[in-house]
Amino acid sequence: MDLMNKVKLNRREFVQTASTAAASGILLQAFGAKAHAAANDIIRIGVIGPGSRGQELIRQFLHLPDAQITAVCDIYEPRFTQVDRLVGKTVPSYRDYRELLARKDLDAIVVSTPVSLHHEHALAALRSGRPVYCEKALGFTPEECQGLVNAVDTSGQILQMGFEYRYAAWIQKSIAEIQAGKIGEPTHVYAYWHRNNDWRRPVPSPGLEHLINWRLYRETSGGLLTELGSHQIDIANWVFGEQPSKVIGTTSIVKYHDGRTVGDNVQAVFNYSKGRRMFFSSLTDNAEVGNQLWIYGTEGSVQFTIEDATFYYEPKKAVAAPAGAEVVQRGITTGASYQTKGEMPYRGAGEKVQVENAEDPTLAGCRAFLHSVRTKEQPIANVHVGFASAIATVIGNRAMYDERSYPIPAMRKA
Amino acid sequence: MGTTFTLYLYATDKQTADAEAAPAFEEIDRIEDLLSNYRESSELSRINREAGQGFVTTDPETFSFLKTSMDWSARSQGAFDITVGQLMKAWGFFNKRGRIPTDAELEILRKETGWQKIQLNPATRTVHFTSPGIELDPGGIGKGFAVDKAVAILRSEHVASAMLSAGSSTIYALGAPPGQTGWKVMVPDPLDPGHALSTVTLRDTSLSSASCAEKHFILGGHLYCHIMNPAELRPVEGMLQVTIVDPSATSSDALSNVLFVKQPVDSRRFMQSLPGDRAFIISGTKDKAVCHPIHWQDTIDQGHCTMENGSHE
Repeated sequence: MDLMNKVKLNRREFVQTASTAAASGILLQAFGAKAHAAANDIIRIGVIGPGSRGQELIRQFLHLPDAQITAVCDIYEPRFTQVDRLVGKTVPSYRDYRELLARKDLDAIVVSTPVSLHHEHALAALRSGRPVYCEKALGFTPEECQGLVNAVDTSGQILQMGFEYRYAAWIQKSIAEIQAGKIGEPTHVYAYWHRNNDWRRPVPSPGLEHLINWRLYRETSGGLLTELGSHQIDIANWVFGEQPSKVIGTTSIVKYHDGRTVGDNVQAVFNYSKGRRMFFSSLTDNAEVGNQLWIYGTEGSVQFTIEDATFYYEPKKAVAAPAGAEVVQRGITTGASYQTKGEMPYRGAGEKVQVENAEDPTLAGCRAFLHSVRTKEQPIANVHVGFASAIATVIGNRAMYDERSYPIPAMRKA
Repeated sequence: MGTTFTLYLYATDKQTADAEAAPAFEEIDRIEDLLSNYRESSELSRINREAGQGFVTTDPETFSFLKTSMDWSARSQGAFDITVGQLMKAWGFFNKRGRIPTDAELEILRKETGWQKIQLNPATRTVHFTSPGIELDPGGIGKGFAVDKAVAILRSEHVASAMLSAGSSTIYALGAPPGQTGWKVMVPDPLDPGHALSTVTLRDTSLSSASCAEKHFILGGHLYCHIMNPAELRPVEGMLQVTIVDPSATSSDALSNVLFVKQPVDSRRFMQSLPGDRAFIISGTKDKAVCHPIHWQDTIDQGHCTMENGSHE
């Protein structure tokens, strides 16, 4: 008897963001191994946690002629053959990150392990004297977040967060225009990261469930708020020029009753000064809105996506122009002068932000990291930027699980 | 690529099917991120932007994709060519607004087209265009490349029976449906698409088709096909449909273009170098179709096309 059913599936939108890495939980030890990159030398990189996100970082570093993937570390060994295939040669590999850090020939370290291990691995890498590219979020507890700030600030070492949106040309240009007043006063950020899949990775054997699907369990994961929302909270922090001070939220399991302990949907509201707010929503059973973020200002709105940014304007009110001001017609009048009909939503075109170099934001971030490694200049997505987003996710998760409002502690100076 | 990928597979329940399909679709998304010329942030778009000015370092996977494309160009003496990006734009296929370029435009296009203007250096993994303005268009091979990658994922998950179709133009049959010898795929009559000219059974192999049926424009009563003859800088004329079976989807995708561009008599000679491959070429016009089977083993409905003289396979 044939019990098999033929199932037809259509391609879905899927945006990769987080890593499937797993790495060792061995206690931190400091090593003195150091290497220095001269101005035109190759920068030799060690990667702790080359899971799916770690491999994407490796791929982008391979696009940069002055980077070399020199060693990798993971406790899940199938990653090693995946890395070798990606890099096109055998890359020395370790199961213990301390052995990787003990190598004398590494100039920089990438940490792309699960969030609950970022502090341990990033701190060890910093103490080994290397600049660190750390995937988001910075830490898993308030103490971890603060601890990495202290480690960076006291050492002067480089730590760049994996906030690639900070390096996207269209977002950088848009933020500059927002700061110049193009949409008036920005008062709200509404961020959506909606998908329609179970967020699971295939597990070769049941014993590997927690190792592979670490995102689904509270002991190792901050869930959707941390893995997806940390990017969007960072953009809100950038727009508002500060970290949030308070958060309320809620989460539940509405569809995937599969033993996971993080929610399969979350909603959170973050308070900023002057009454400004950020709303974050993540669903995993409906992908209609996808991944998009809106910044609402008193005179207009901006939509950010992973590929572009588009401005829309509120119906114009008369504004007195300064004497002698030159009147410039915007290139696209549909975006600049729309009229809503009653309270119907606007359905016309917007004004797409034009940039010359729309390269992959992760590639731009990797290139900027190599620049920081060489010059010792602190990156745009520095440890303070990392703290401001991570602390919001850490407290945000507590607020959601307890369904209470909690204050978010500010960063302390080291 | 902007194509709808459809995956058919056998599983005990929908949940298992979803779990098996997700990594394959994810792989397709990854390849789209790498190779789409509609996404400005893709690696291929970056190469298009920068390789005219200098040497662009790329990753081994993208490099191997370009190398494979170049190999097919060399092997087909330019019938297959991924440098047709500017040609596709000039003829209006990129934004779906068909037009005929002027002679002056064609003169410029001559300089901006040609696979021999791409330099690949495997030692440094660099790409360089020796002539500015070159634009790579993955249209003739990218879908096949994505299908092969996704099938590799299915195999690694030990999926025994699946069929993956990239917009129906490139199909891979993995294993066979339970109790059957393979996956049945219909070769449609280009002049009457509801009618099957031949039906093939595929197992662990791929089938690609090229035809003008879906992408073309009509101007002054003439149909202009989206498949370019790179040497002539214009759409191919006199060809209706090509179908080819090859174990690699990347190869069958590229080969479907080669056979579409070449004259059938040249294709027949070319196919001598691919003794294991089967091809079914239909040339002609909307009034008269001529069938040219090459190594084709399946029955052909001869009531719908005239067989090529001397074709007794």
